[in-house]
Amino acid sequence: MGDYKKPFEGLRVADFSWVGVGPTVAKYLADHGAEVIRIESTTYPEALRRVGPFVDDTPGMDNSGYFANFNSSKLGCSINFKHPEGPQLARDLVAKCDVVTESYTPGTMARFGLSYEELSEGRDDLVMVSMPLYGQTGPWAQYAGFGHILQAASGYNHLTGWPDGQPIGTGIAYTDFLVPHIGAIALVAALDYRRRTGKGQYIDFSQFEAAVQGLWTGVLEWTANGREMERMGNRDPDAAPHGCYECRDGRWLVLACFTEDEWTSLKAAMGRPDWCDLERMRRKWQRLNEQKEIDRHLSNWVWDMTRKPEDPEETEVEGAEGVRIRKYTSIEMMERLQSFGVPAGVVQTPEDMQRDPQMQHRGHYWKLQHPVMGLRTYDSPAFLLSKTPAELTKAAPLLGEDNEYVFNELLGMDQERFVELLAAGAFE
Amino acid sequence: MTNEPPVPYPHPGGPLTGYRVLDFADEKGQLCARVLGELGADVIKVEPRGGDPTREYGPFFRDEEGPLTSLYWWAMNAGKRSITCELRLEGGRDLVRQLVASSDIVVETCAPGTAAERGLDYESLSAANPGVVVVSVTPFGQTGPYAHYRATDIVGSAMGGHMHLNGDEENGPVRTTVPQAYAQANFQAAVGAVVAIYARGVNDGVGQHVDVSMQEAMSNAMDHAQQTWDIRGINSRGPGIYRERAGERVGRYLYEAADGWVTALANGGMSNPKGNAIIDWLEEHGAARDLANDNWRLKLTSVEPLTDEERAYVEETLELFCRQHPKDWLVREAQARGGGWAPVYSPREIVECDQLRERDYWVSVHHEDLGESFIYPGAPFSLSGTPWKQRGRAPHIGEHNEQVYGELAALSDAELKRLKMKMVV
Repeated sequence: MGDYKKPFEGLRVADFSWVGVGPTVAKYLADHGAEVIRIESTTYPEALRRVGPFVDDTPGMDNSGYFANFNSSKLGCSINFKHPEGPQLARDLVAKCDVVTESYTPGTMARFGLSYEELSEGRDDLVMVSMPLYGQTGPWAQYAGFGHILQAASGYNHLTGWPDGQPIGTGIAYTDFLVPHIGAIALVAALDYRRRTGKGQYIDFSQFEAAVQGLWTGVLEWTANGREMERMGNRDPDAAPHGCYECRDGRWLVLACFTEDEWTSLKAAMGRPDWCDLERMRRKWQRLNEQKEIDRHLSNWVWDMTRKPEDPEETEVEGAEGVRIRKYTSIEMMERLQSFGVPAGVVQTPEDMQRDPQMQHRGHYWKLQHPVMGLRTYDSPAFLLSKTPAELTKAAPLLGEDNEYVFNELLGMDQERFVELLAAGAFE
Repeated sequence: MTNEPPVPYPHPGGPLTGYRVLDFADEKGQLCARVLGELGADVIKVEPRGGDPTREYGPFFRDEEGPLTSLYWWAMNAGKRSITCELRLEGGRDLVRQLVASSDIVVETCAPGTAAERGLDYESLSAANPGVVVVSVTPFGQTGPYAHYRATDIVGSAMGGHMHLNGDEENGPVRTTVPQAYAQANFQAAVGAVVAIYARGVNDGVGQHVDVSMQEAMSNAMDHAQQTWDIRGINSRGPGIYRERAGERVGRYLYEAADGWVTALANGGMSNPKGNAIIDWLEEHGAARDLANDNWRLKLTSVEPLTDEERAYVEETLELFCRQHPKDWLVREAQARGGGWAPVYSPREIVECDQLRERDYWVSVHHEDLGESFIYPGAPFSLSGTPWKQRGRAPHIGEHNEQVYGELAALSDAELKRLKMKMVV
């Protein structure tokens, strides 16, 4: 794209954050041109470096795919905060930076003299964001946890699962994959304000408070109508049919009819079986009361219409010689329903996602060469910028990979002092 | 100008104050535009003459359907101004061109290839204003083999891989009832919008097209399943009440309490070098069973891998204990001992919880048209210099026509009347 500057070119970020949320926020800056330096410790390593998947199933600080994905395009340095020189090294580094990101339990940064007040002394252009689970204050401020349980506190367990069943939740650390985007909005907006005015600021970001913003109309249903929204399996309060149906190839097909047009299209795609012309199927409010029956019909229909990929496309109808009937794979079913104008899709596995022609067309998965892990898959932003696109410039940093650059070049430390501190364990 | 509308409240001190956003979006982009407004931008919702179709989305206030009672509309359009403009008419598209000339961001969600019919394609908009950032949110993006496919939230959740990770073995995949593909697309679109606005500032004011895919937004919520496939060749799938890590089941995380449910990490915190505090706690209540033995303590606190039988015993112990006690008590006591526990909260319990109350999270939004106020979610982040602000209720249809057209398109009352006659406004 030649002529355009990357958005955050020239900005330097001290990324003290760890696990999922903070690193993902800083990744946005790194993938759009900022120099982001992860500050870690070998004595107290970032939790995700110790969590798999590991290449060859061999645990190792520089071998975790989980860690790697959140840290593309970043540099890495290591500082031991508990070494007497450690906090000062961190402060010296921040003095060379424009942005600080962190996600420790409240009070941790202050304990090492790294609070916003201390770091911004003598300058008013520092932007810093703290991103713990529950914010800097309040009775839960010191509570431990990760996104896997924060989804419970913020309503996602209550709202995921089958009616009358357990509140199973999303199966993943869901809020870790929702709230970083909200944090990034705040951080980039603050950076834009700084670009325009020269002024920095401090952002107290509570993962909990951001997560509640994703509940759609759930809060107002309670506060305005006094009604508790409940988990509905794969149904929707505004659509019928609306569900997820198993196909013969082992995949699941989803479809949704919000409008009468979509319902008409689905009827056409099904060849207008008798049941869908029953009076009680005529209008959406009626169909919303008949979902059990609709689901039964659709389950049977989807099962009957589908085939395993290795099975023939057409089979002879038993007892009716010469009559052949076409069967479809789940992907073919989706294509067929879409061709009729029905919103439909397949529940894609991670493997399917890698092969998905649309994801490939968008170039979502980047393959980056890592010195220990080899060529590995990284996620990239869900948006394509036409003039200043994201660029994942390198794989995740090794722990302390760029110490020489950071301490010698950036902080101007001479070799003698560097070796002295190294021997004393200040970089562990 | 007559009858100045009571909303939105001014927000002179936001980080995005000074920017203007035109919102032509449906549910895939309205929340994106709302957030920009809460950061200070002037957001103008552009509706067709009869009102935006999303005003018909439920649930409705007191279940009374109508253009002013959609809670969906309230939630996603609070704090915006509203104008009406008929984009199917050339006169309407003319007006849009005039508005775009003084705008910074346009958010639109037209199906790919159809934006030009309404004058909302990037080429037309950037011709009217080369500095404009156009955010297009669509199910699969502007181009590619699925670009023309239709998708609602469940289709985005399924095609984005996220739904495969939800659910359990017995029942298959499940969607989160509050639409997360829409939520994810909106928030990630807003990131794209602010990055593009920043990029404009460092590139001589040149705007660009931000092409957002809902499928891709959802795929970013697959946790480490993609890396697990890449590295281990295992397809993670919905583990129900268990947790999965790198494709392997690592243990149960959901337990029934006396009055609901709780979640807990690492066997309630027992599988942790500091796990003795949790074991002691169970023992105090006569619920530790054999786990209080030295052998078990050593096994748990050294975080040795457990056999399936051992794991079942530990989980059963926790299950029996949790059933005896209320969830808030369990979480408070476990957290006091270092255990990563959280309650399963419903929207009501979230509204009532002490953490959010003590941080003054909730905002009361006055609906002077109904003579009532309602609690809305508050600041998703607290900026020390340029705070987030809720800017009042969502607008009525065309509530700001006189104000906006007078101010931005320099239309006199007579001209506005003429456009109304021609059914443009």
